[in-house]
Parts: sequence; C-alpha cells; structure tokens
Amino acid sequence: MLQSIVLSGLAIGSVYALIGVAYNVMYSASRVFSFTAGTLGMIGGILGSLFILRMGLPIWLGFVLALAGGALFGVVTEILAVRPVLKSLDQHLYVLSTLALALMTQQFAAIEWSTEPQPFPRIFDLPRGGFDQTFWLPMLACVVTIVGLELLYRHTLVGHAFLAIAEDNYAARALGLPERNLRIASFAIAGAIGALAGFAGGQLLLAFFANAPLLTFYGFVPVALGGMGNNRGAVAAGLILGLFQQAANFLVGGIFASVAVFAAFIFVLLAFPDGLAGPSTQRRV
Amino acid sequence: MSMTRRQALTSASAAVLASGIAKPAIAQKSPIQIGYLPALTGPSSSTGVGINRGVQMAVEEINKAGGIDGRQIELISRDTQSDPTKAVNGAAELTRGHKVSVVFGPVNSGEAIPVVPLLAKANIPQLHPCWVDQLADAKKYPLCFRNGPTNQQIGGAANRYVVDVLKKKKVAIVSDTTGYGTASVNAYVPMLKQIGADVVYQAHVDAANPDLKPEILRMQAAGAEAIMPWSVNAGFLSRIINTRGQLAWDVPICGQTTLGSGQTKALLEKPEYWAKVYPNNFRPVCYGPDGKLPERTRAFVDKLRAAKIDMSDTLLWWIAVGYDTPYLIADAIKNSGPEAEKIVAHWNTLKDYPGIYGEYSFTPDEHNGYPDRQVVMVEANSLKDGAFNLAPGYGGA
Repeated sequence: MLQSIVLSGLAIGSVYALIGVAYNVMYSASRVFSFTAGTLGMIGGILGSLFILRMGLPIWLGFVLALAGGALFGVVTEILAVRPVLKSLDQHLYVLSTLALALMTQQFAAIEWSTEPQPFPRIFDLPRGGFDQTFWLPMLACVVTIVGLELLYRHTLVGHAFLAIAEDNYAARALGLPERNLRIASFAIAGAIGALAGFAGGQLLLAFFANAPLLTFYGFVPVALGGMGNNRGAVAAGLILGLFQQAANFLVGGIFASVAVFAAFIFVLLAFPDGLAGPSTQRRV
Repeated sequence: MSMTRRQALTSASAAVLASGIAKPAIAQKSPIQIGYLPALTGPSSSTGVGINRGVQMAVEEINKAGGIDGRQIELISRDTQSDPTKAVNGAAELTRGHKVSVVFGPVNSGEAIPVVPLLAKANIPQLHPCWVDQLADAKKYPLCFRNGPTNQQIGGAANRYVVDVLKKKKVAIVSDTTGYGTASVNAYVPMLKQIGADVVYQAHVDAANPDLKPEILRMQAAGAEAIMPWSVNAGFLSRIINTRGQLAWDVPICGQTTLGSGQTKALLEKPEYWAKVYPNNFRPVCYGPDGKLPERTRAFVDKLRAAKIDMSDTLLWWIAVGYDTPYLIADAIKNSGPEAEKIVAHWNTLKDYPGIYGEYSFTPDEHNGYPDRQVVMVEANSLKDGAFNLAPGYGGA
C-alpha cells in the first residue's frame, strides 16, 4: 500500500507541480494569474495522442510538436487574454479573460477531439511493472523542468532579464529590456511546461478534454500553498498534495478523498495565508 | 343562358358535394408528419447516430411500399445536438409549427426529461427509448410510451446475472459522482439485497481520479466476488478493468453497456483484461449459445448489409430500436388512424409487437413496453458487427 501511495502520489503530484510552475512563470512575467494553465496540460495530452497515435508520427516528433503546440497556446494567451487587460490589473479582468479563453479551448477540444477520454501512447517500449513509466515519466519531467529553469534563471543573460522583469518591470524597462518580448517568451516557456505536464502524465490522465478544469484547480493548489511566484514552493507543495491525495484515496476513499484534500487546503491557507513557503519576494514599504 | 333557382341550387349542392369529396382525397395523399428528435451531433450523439440509421431505413422502406394507406411518411427531424435546451426548442417547433401526428425521441434521457412534459401538455403522442425511470408514467403522461428498458430493468438484469447465474453473493457496487451513477447505485443496492446478495462494498468515486487501485483493494479486502460499476464514463470503467487486471484479481465485472463500448476497449492496457466483463444488452440482438443471431435479427442484418449500412462503428441495438419505431408508429396509424387519441388507444392494447430490438407490449396502466426477459448480459470482448455473445449461463432464446 505504501509503495502505491508513494508512486502514484509523487507521479500525480509532479503533474500538479508542473502546472503550478506554469502558473508561476506566467505570473512572474505579467503579474497575471492565467487560468489557462490547466488547459496547457490538456493540450499536451491531446496533442501527444493526436500526433503519435492518430497521425502515427515518431514519438520524439510528437513530443516536440506537443510542446510547440503548448508554447504557441501560451503566446496566444498572452496576446488575446493578458495583454489587453494589463493596464487594469487592479480590476482583475484577467480572471475573466483567461478563464474565457480556457473554457473556449476546452469546448473546442470537446467538439473536435472527443468528449470521451482517448488512449495515450506508451512512450518507451518497456514491460509494465511496479515502477512503471506511467509513474516515473512525470517525476522525471518535473526534475528536468526545475533544473532547466534554475539553469536558465541563474546562469544565462536571458534568465537574468526574466528575473529583472519579474522583480520590477518598470525598472527593467527603464534599463532598456524588451519587456513585451520577454513576457511573450515567458508565456511560451510556461506553455511548453504545461504541455510537458500533460504529455508526461498522459498515461496517467489520458488524452481527455476534462483534464483542463481538473489541472486548473489542482495545479493552483501548489501555487497557493507554495507561495505565488515561488517555483520551489510550488514543486514541494505539488508533491505533498499528490501524496496527501493518494493517501486519502487509500485511507478514506470515494468522494471523501476529494473532501479531505479541500479541507486540508483550506486549513493550510487559514494557517499560512502567504503559503507554506511564504511570498517569493519581499515588498519594500 | 338563364338558370332556374332549382338548377342553381342543384349546381351549388353538387359543387359542395364535389368539394367535400375532393377534400379527403387530397388529405389522404398528403404526407403523415412524424416529429423526430435525435441527437445527431454533440457529446451524446453516438446513440443518436446509430438509431438514425435504423429510422431512415425503416421510413424509406415504408414509403417505398406505398406509405401508410397511400400516405407517405414525412420525417420532420430536429437535431437536439445532445443539448436539453435545443431538444425543448425542437419539440416546441414540431408541435406548433408542424402539427406532427406523433414524436419519436429524444433518444437521450437528459434531453427527454424536459421534453416529455412539454409534449404531454401539447397532447402529442410520444415514443422514446430513454431509460430514466420517471420518463414513462401512464398516469402522469398518458400519451408517452417507452420502447426501451427502464433503469430498474437494466439494474435488475445485472443483479440477477450476478446473484442467480454467476452465484456470486458478495458484491462491490461503485459509481462515478454523476447523477446517473449515484442514482443507479442507490436504486440497485436495495434490489441486490432483496435477491439475497450481500453488498460488501459501496462507493461513489470521483471519475477524474487517475488511480483506482485503492478502491479495488478495498473491494478485495471486503471479500467482493463481483464488481458492479455504474457509469457511462469510459475512462472510469477502463481504469476499473485495468486495475483488476494489474492485480490479477479474477472477479467478474458486470454493469452498464459502456463496459462493452469501443471507447472502453481503446483504453485497456491489455486486450485480455476485457475477459470476464459483462455489460447489459438485449437478447434479440445478441449471438446465442450457437453463435448465431435470432432468425428475425439475422434477416435484418442481411438487409442492413444489402443497404450498405455500417454496423462496425455502432451497436446493433441502437440501429434496431431506430428501425422498429417508424413501424410501431405506422402500425398504429394504419390500424387506428392518425389522430392522437387513436394512436394512444392502439398502443394501449399492443401485445408482443414483434420488433427487431424486442417484443413491445403496452397497457393503459403500463407504458414501459420493453420486456424484462429480453434484458440480458453479454461478453464484452465478443463484439462483432455491433452485437455481442450472450454472457455464459444464458440458455437459448
């Protein structure tokens, strides 16, 4: 039982963590909580299944195209749902604009793809076993993403520019940084990360249009618990969420498992309003 | 030329008589309008698309054979798009704009729920194949008839199969958290207990949960000898089947027809996991112990093949119920007349009408026309041309 809780919990927790990171990457660049993050996960799963199973493309090409599709959707999100409302952030219009885009995309997927979950391909031709690729692929994707983002942010000039925009975009602009282009790039990166979550977790969640609202919610929980804009906090909270959810599935089961997750979420937020890891940046007053 | 008063009166009378005689002649040639509310598009359209193949074939046959006493059938079709609102709009248009004699449909329960009271209010006879129990009530909706099974019949057949045929007394019964799933479990648990089963595990599970191992392990720990899942969600059902397979737990799974759908099959990790899975189906459209369809159904399938109607991507019972319905309507109009009260009076005395999908009977107090004995269980992994083998334990027809 413990092995099952750990394997399933860490696998699904990794998917939540990656969606949380996608939220954060978009938030850092724009101060906008884009509710298209779960939709990116749905896109990764559906495009992976479409390219590899339906169109018969090689797995590597299907993977690259699925991530490219996610990145493209990220850019479209920035142009259609984020840029027009940036000037009135205090009115929180982005909630409506990003939710609307997410819902439209989900409905489009339901009509054009299927309302039924569709199979997702096996990525590696390995025999099924206890520590199956269904479980380790999302974990691997999570590790690679975190290491990649750390390298990007800490060891490249572009990464420093991203951090500058996240810290203070007025000052960054005054220094001559191309704020809009960096924001578009951030949304493209977030799109690819979200699609990676859906692709890596495809064998677990299948290629299903209804994964979008599921991941939008469960991906938001790590952000809220880990602290907004805090990637390390999101990953830790995502993994804890996955483990807690799976433990609740074993211990109480049925719909009570979901109730346990929501109850814990509300309790933690009441106790730590800034998230378990606290806010990512200190505001000067 | 002058005309006497008598001549004028005679001419006028003759003209009136002539027009009086001519009118029914025209009426007899005018088509009989039948309203039809299939879901041909949208998320629940697979049923409607299958049913539509049978409906179109039957109407074409009837019209080719001269129609109903010389009057052609005109099908006034409105696609509900799997949307209850669109179904209501379609029904309103059929009753107000077209004055149809009778309505067939909707073909999904969700759409039928708002349409049944609407047609009852408009005094239009209605025939539908939807399963939700409340959708045919001779007292509440005296013009509404059901030519399909009720949920009670579906659950009853599965329960009897598990307890009486498979001799499994310890049962785990689960559903997703939809209205259909929870209502089914709540209805079927007392039915199971009534026939002597011991419900050792009962749960409503979030269908989005990607890992159902905890549920299956709990069923195993409770000593379940059979799993009965009630859901139309292929993802949920396939996860139950896959987890049973992974745990190499050799218990039968009996339940909703979706267990045998192509969508469920596509999500199975291994084809062999589909063994010992028994979904509901209907005896007249199943392969018997001899591997053959009943004679009447065989002739029907030959007709479908001759008409090049595809059966591989749908279910035979969908096509069959669609095919039977225009014939049920034509039979009522031919024998009693196209008026609402005559159609209803005819159906109220219908006894064992021999359709392809089943033998239908109605009485003034019972508008659920599908017989219990024809609701059966089948082997999920035997699907061929839209039909299944009867599950082990059933005798011949």
